Amino acid sequence: MFVYEKKLQYPVKIATANPKLASFIISQYGGPDGELGASMRYLSQRYAMPYPELKGLLTDIGTEELGHLEMVGAIIHQLTRNLTDEEVRAAGFDAYFVDHTTGVYPTAASGFPWSAASIGVKGDVICDLTEDLAAEQKARVTYDNILRMCDDPDVKDVIRFLRQREITHFQRFGEALRLAREKMDQKNVYFVNPAFDH
Amino acid sequence: MYPDNPVTPVCGDGCGTLPQQAPLAFPYVPMQQSASKRYGQDEALNNGSLFPGLNLPFHIQDKARNVVKGPLAELQALEFVVTEMGLYLDTHPNDQEAFALFQQYVALAREGRKRYTELYGPVYQMGAADSDHYNWLHDPWPWDGKDGGAR
Repeated sequence: MFVYEKKLQYPVKIATANPKLASFIISQYGGPDGELGASMRYLSQRYAMPYPELKGLLTDIGTEELGHLEMVGAIIHQLTRNLTDEEVRAAGFDAYFVDHTTGVYPTAASGFPWSAASIGVKGDVICDLTEDLAAEQKARVTYDNILRMCDDPDVKDVIRFLRQREITHFQRFGEALRLAREKMDQKNVYFVNPAFDH
Repeated sequence: MYPDNPVTPVCGDGCGTLPQQAPLAFPYVPMQQSASKRYGQDEALNNGSLFPGLNLPFHIQDKARNVVKGPLAELQALEFVVTEMGLYLDTHPNDQEAFALFQQYVALAREGRKRYTELYGPVYQMGAADSDHYNWLHDPWPWDGKDGGAR
């Protein structure tokens, strides 16, 4: 089960509201490569995994991603605090505002609501871990792109932290693939799927 | 194109081990070696990585700022090291030196959480039972971010 911890993994303290920034950072809340998808992907993949290292790693990274979801939610919330009607209209935030006011809704920056179609759970060790390597890279690039479009140091500081976590997770998923490989058929890792064949 | 890249390693701690010969049609990421250089807990939290060898920043960013000091930031830093060591141990479960470090940081984090809870209230709902009233609902909630690291 999960138990809530009443604190963030890394501090989020944004002094200046900026709905324009919120209108694209929301993609890391509910977009195709965002933190909601990341946690759902890893926490769902783990059930089929045959090896304890993989069960553990997917559980632990999936749990950390839930913490990142909360951090991105905190960014969106703080960027949209105490807005005037004028700020809402002027900032390119109007399309989001009309549907959600300043609630935090899992959607892509494009307006496409969060979809499980953006994650993969194939039930195969090599396939799922390779998906996870790609997923970490996609999230990393999204954070790169946010850094390109953002000039508030309070926000950049948190984005930089989240971006670095993607690189660390990529490393760990790569190591997990190596560990899994050692347990598979050494002549042909594709001979069976150890998540299904017994 | 890369004159401002602050990262120095290739290799040292920025490199890991690969098999000498490896079968085709399989992706390989080098295994991080044991006893890799580590940051202290504050610098680790600031950089988002416990390991300098894995700290690979993007060209557009402010320099790593120092997280606001305070009891919450101290706890966050200790628990961040526990998270990092935990993920490392998930893929290096037999690294005894890393496990000893994990034990040390868990002990520190437990102490830190105790100190923090005494000052600012419970981190877990269950912790409200140690108070003389139900203080779980007290502001601020984490996303309100009034004082950043110093809740």
